Amino acid sequence: MVVRAGSLVRPARALLVALLAVGLAGCGNRQDVLRPASKQEHQISSLWWVMLAGAAIGFGVIAVLLFLGWWRRNRADLPGGGGEKAATALVIGLGIVVPVIVLSGFFVWADIFVLKRTDAPSPSKTAMTIQVIGHQWWWEVRYPGTKAVTANEIHIPVRTPVNLVVTTDDVIHSFWVPALNRKIDMIPGRRNTILLDASRVGRYRGQCAEFCGLQHAHMSMSVYADPPERFRSWLANMAAPAQRPGTALARQGTRAFQTLSCAGCHTIRGTAADGRVGPDLTHLQTRRTLAALTIPESKLGEWISDPQHAKPGNKMPGIGMSQADHQALLSYLESLK
Amino acid sequence: MTERSVPRSVEATTAASAARIARERVARPNGWWGMAVFVAAEATLFGTIFGAYFYLRFHDLHWPPPGVEEPKVVAPLILTGVLVLTSVPVQLALFSARRARLGAARLALIVALVVQAGYFAMQIHLYLDDLHHFSPQGSAYGSIYFTMLGAHQAHVLVGILLDLWLLVRLASGLTTYRLTALQATTFYWHFVNVLAVLVVAAQLSPRL
Amino acid sequence: MAVDVLTPRARSRVDRLERIWAEPPGIVGWLTTVDHKRIALLYFFTTLAFFGAGGVEALLIRTQLAGPNGKTLSPETYNQVMTMHGVTMIFLFIIPMTIGAFGNYLVPLMIGARDMAFPRMNALSYWLFLASGLFIYVGLFIGQGPNAGWFDYVPLALKRYDPGMGIDFYALGLILNGLSSTAGATNFIATIFKGRAPGMSLNRMPLFCFAMLAVSFALIFALPALTIDCVFLELQRRVGFHFFDVAHGGDPILWQHLFWIFGHPEVYIIVLPAFGIATSIIPTFAKRKMVAFPLVALAELLVAFIGFGVWAHHMFATGLPTTTLIFFAAASMMVVIPSTIQVFAWTLTVIMGRAEFRAPLLFIGGFITFFVIGGLSGIMFAAIPFDQATTDTYFVVAHFHFIIFGAAVFPVLGGMYYWFPKVTGRLYHEGLAKASFWLTFLGTSLTFFPMHIVGLLGMTRRVYTYPSNLGWEAYNLSETVGAFILAAGLVLILVNLVHSRFRGPPAGPDPFYGGTLEWTTSSPPPEYNFPVIPTVTSAYPNWDREDREADRRRLDQGLLVLDRGHETPASTVRDGILDEILDMPSGSPWPIVLAVSVSLVFVMLLTTHYLLAAAFVGLTTVSLAAWHWQEPQER
Ligand code: HEA
Ligand code: HEA
Ligand code: HEC
Ligand code: CUA
Ligand SMILES: [Cu+2]
Repeated sequence: MVVRAGSLVRPARALLVALLAVGLAGCGNRQDVLRPASKQEHQISSLWWVMLAGAAIGFGVIAVLLFLGWWRRNRADLPGGGGEKAATALVIGLGIVVPVIVLSGFFVWADIFVLKRTDAPSPSKTAMTIQVIGHQWWWEVRYPGTKAVTANEIHIPVRTPVNLVVTTDDVIHSFWVPALNRKIDMIPGRRNTILLDASRVGRYRGQCAEFCGLQHAHMSMSVYADPPERFRSWLANMAAPAQRPGTALARQGTRAFQTLSCAGCHTIRGTAADGRVGPDLTHLQTRRTLAALTIPESKLGEWISDPQHAKPGNKMPGIGMSQADHQALLSYLESLK
Repeated sequence: MTERSVPRSVEATTAASAARIARERVARPNGWWGMAVFVAAEATLFGTIFGAYFYLRFHDLHWPPPGVEEPKVVAPLILTGVLVLTSVPVQLALFSARRARLGAARLALIVALVVQAGYFAMQIHLYLDDLHHFSPQGSAYGSIYFTMLGAHQAHVLVGILLDLWLLVRLASGLTTYRLTALQATTFYWHFVNVLAVLVVAAQLSPRL
Repeated sequence: MAVDVLTPRARSRVDRLERIWAEPPGIVGWLTTVDHKRIALLYFFTTLAFFGAGGVEALLIRTQLAGPNGKTLSPETYNQVMTMHGVTMIFLFIIPMTIGAFGNYLVPLMIGARDMAFPRMNALSYWLFLASGLFIYVGLFIGQGPNAGWFDYVPLALKRYDPGMGIDFYALGLILNGLSSTAGATNFIATIFKGRAPGMSLNRMPLFCFAMLAVSFALIFALPALTIDCVFLELQRRVGFHFFDVAHGGDPILWQHLFWIFGHPEVYIIVLPAFGIATSIIPTFAKRKMVAFPLVALAELLVAFIGFGVWAHHMFATGLPTTTLIFFAAASMMVVIPSTIQVFAWTLTVIMGRAEFRAPLLFIGGFITFFVIGGLSGIMFAAIPFDQATTDTYFVVAHFHFIIFGAAVFPVLGGMYYWFPKVTGRLYHEGLAKASFWLTFLGTSLTFFPMHIVGLLGMTRRVYTYPSNLGWEAYNLSETVGAFILAAGLVLILVNLVHSRFRGPPAGPDPFYGGTLEWTTSSPPPEYNFPVIPTVTSAYPNWDREDREADRRRLDQGLLVLDRGHETPASTVRDGILDEILDMPSGSPWPIVLAVSVSLVFVMLLTTHYLLAAAFVGLTTVSLAAWHWQEPQER
């Protein structure tokens, strides 16, 4: 089937790409299985195109048979003669023999070879390990061996195999960045792993795929595949404690962060704030989005005054505060570069 | 093909004719099939419980967990042996009833019932005793242990109620309906006895 | 054999049967009925109402998702609606519709019996089903509907993350529902094994009955896993047991295994009756018997059987060991074979016959089309890496709606038209029926096809909303438009049937010249189904004219009329040789009493009145005793 289908792959692909393009107009921010940015995902998307071609043939056969049924509605017997025996033979041939052959080949290819090539590698074969911990409804990201902790936006060096260890703090989530690899569930009591090996620099969108409650829809993340130098400087900055606030207003914000109980939930390394309920905010300004890609960073002020508006039901309560405190907090958080 | 050649339940007006119908029919009666399918469902139910038991067992490092003593061996084994023996009087009851020997059937049922009730009482005693030592809320081991044993005891209780019911009904004679009920109940008891062996094997498995 | 022209002697026998089998009139008759046809109608209208509810939920979902950042439903409401849609459609619509309504009505008629093997238990299973449906819906109406998806994964469904009562409604409701299905399945197996007309050996049994037999066995062996799973869940939620939490030695994956050990056989339970309907409609309109009949019968049984060995393909992304994955992938490919056999047998039968494309056959054409599309995407999931990419996306939603709506509901719709004349004695409107086919066909394609694409574009399922910049809008809009077209098509079917029920021309006993026994009796069939028990010499007995003439003669002679009580024959299991003549129970109030009592047990469990629950268990036992106190012979 692989061989036979191969010749059909290209036209079918052209057709589908054209079809898909309708929905693709004005992209840039994709979450697309069929736009691979890694060897692994490339395997998966070729698997899809071949399967699609095979399926088209299979469907075509049935469509022809149904059409024949209608076309020959006034005649008994098979086209070209043949009675009961011939029909039974056809059922056995097309319904048992052909599928067994086709599926055996398909099985060996997909479930032995492709599977092996997309599998998570042993940690010794990867350059680095990143730990991702699922929370309702955001992602905690740690870089073992360094002090770096961040949330929702994962940076990896490009063309470097990275081993992701995924776990969860509460319910089951599923880690999925379509352009890079298959998905993997984050399950209590288990340490699952997955390989990320981006072949192109870029930003790849991902989303939690296992239903995890109220805000499952707003549990997305970005993976940035950076050139190695950029990645190294990002990581160095990430591992450092927070900068001291430069302005008086920002310093006032530090105090508000404590008195308004923000510090009970959030960590800002280098300060007294060491809460573990919400994301680490030490370098908040390095992130472009807030609340697992729900809103852009530019809406920070609105998020602080009413986090339940953009993401109703999320675990950060709305905290009443004065205008002055709000200003101060904002100024402080904006200094966290 | 006519109806004259086969037994007809409207004609079964006496114990003897009911017994004759039971002997004359070639296939098993509807009621037996109903019970057989029900038993198949029950067997699957217990299969699932056993599956869950061993799933959790091989998932956990310590089974039973620290602080919980291993199950006692002697009492459950003896009890199970006694229960399994009741298959004999139950089967005897059916055998007698099919020959319209009502008195013998009743007697066999009473014997079975007494033993089963004794077994049940002892089991409940052991169950409560276990509850004093460890609780189902303490660990997955406790949870599946008490669930499994509880489910089995519920089945023994159902069997006892069925026996009681048959005794009450047989007191006023034998009909096709009652004979089929007896046949189905016999089957059920054999099943419960097999189950008892499997349950006790799972229960004692940490000792192996 | 339809009672049209009768000799006086035959007439008097028929009159006698009419008297013996008469049911009390009015509402009491319906509440105490044990007639499989009446019970089937009760099932039909109840499941239709649930279909309406599930459909409204679907339309709400589609309205919310019509465009990005929808505001129709709040996240909490969306999750309840989405969960209830799945639960309703699976447990309260498609299974009780195909098995409870179609199976109940047709199996006794097709095998030439006068009722099910256990008529009162049949009534019981209906009342329990109704109770379970109402039970679950009470939750939704008080704002505490289940909200963790239809497969209800833990730990999300544990008290800690879901403190309301929604999950308790779900778990207890499904246990109750399972009791009903178990009773129903037991009844079908006993009926099919024991109730067949003299001469109907297993190899002469209609394929529909093979399908129902396979379904019943699948239910018997699949449901306990769900029941136990729900029992574990309730024990953990309510009494603090530990099955699923890691901290105390439990494991959340245990829930998934048990759920899918039930859940996968379940999907074949959904589709098998549809196969049965297809194999009834195709021979009638192709005017010939099925090609490769024994193979098809075997395939129906095999689907159910192999279906028990593939459950972990729903768990490919959970990180199970690779060897486990490969085993289940291989099994998932194997399970395809019985389906391919059937697809080719159906299509070749149509080709070999002089097919007449009336509405029921059109729906079967739609069914085959959609089944093949849905089946092909099913095989794609058996390629583990692809499944791991697309699981939990709309690609899966596309797969199962094609195969559930396209392949299970389409035959049901076709079957509604096909047996409408039998049930009502009137013909439906052919033109409108064809129009409704094209409308539903279009609606289904437009609704569910784009889901494949949007799934590949990364849209995950069970999201109450999505952002605007991912290229998903056009597809979602098409899905919403399609859903409303589909709804219009369904309403058109309803209008056609309701109108024809009152205005349709009389149908006569056999308007389509069908092959199976239900077409030998009048439309609608009398309470006793057949004035004389038919004897059978082939798998399409209605096409054996001489045999049917012989029936007529036997009515005259009074042979196999069985008119000394509620009598029905019982036969040997394999060969269908007449073995015994049974006297069946007639109408009884105990099934409904028992069902109410059992339901109250569940209500008390839900509201944590455990002592009262125990009291109702006692009441249940007493009503069981009362039920069995009166024996058929004592009437
Ligand atoms: C009616 C119900 C029904 C049926 C019949 C099927 C049939 C099949 N299903 Fe499907 N399935 C569901 C209902 C159903 N499914 C549901 C509800 C879910 C999702 C549950 C959830 O997550 O909520 C699901 C999910 C599901 C998954 C998990 C996806 C995921 O969540 O990641 C998988 C994986 O293997 C799968 C596989 C299959 C296969 C291989 C078949 C096969 O039986 C299909 C066989 C049919 C054919 C193959 C077509 C006919 C033949 C031909 C056209 C001939 C030519 C073909 C060849 C030569 C190969 N199904
Ligand atoms: C039998 C099964 C079945 C059927 C028939 C349907 C039918 C439909 N389904 Fe559903 N669906 C599921 C089973 C089914 N579904 C399951 C199991 C899920 C997964 C849930 C989960 O993730 O947990 C799901 C999920 C699901 C989703 C994904 C939700 C999500 O992931 O967030 C969507 C989205 O579009 C959807 C849409 C539809 C639509 C538009 C229809 C339409 O086809 C519906 C059309 C029907 C009508 C419009 C009703 C018309 C009724 C009448 C004419 C009769 C009226 C009579 C009276 C009132 C007496 N379904
Ligand atoms: C009860 C715990 C809690 C308190 C108190 C709290 N937060 Fe949060 N915060 C969270 C959680 C949980 C999130 C993640 C929400 C999500 O994405 O679902 C969050 C997210 C954030 C984010 C976005 C981080 C990101 O990268 O997406 C910011 C900024 C933030 N909080 C600031 C604050 C400030 C300022 C305060 C005090 C006024 C505060 N938080 C108080 C729990 C808390
Ligand atoms: Cu986390 Cu969905
Ligand atoms: Cu499946």
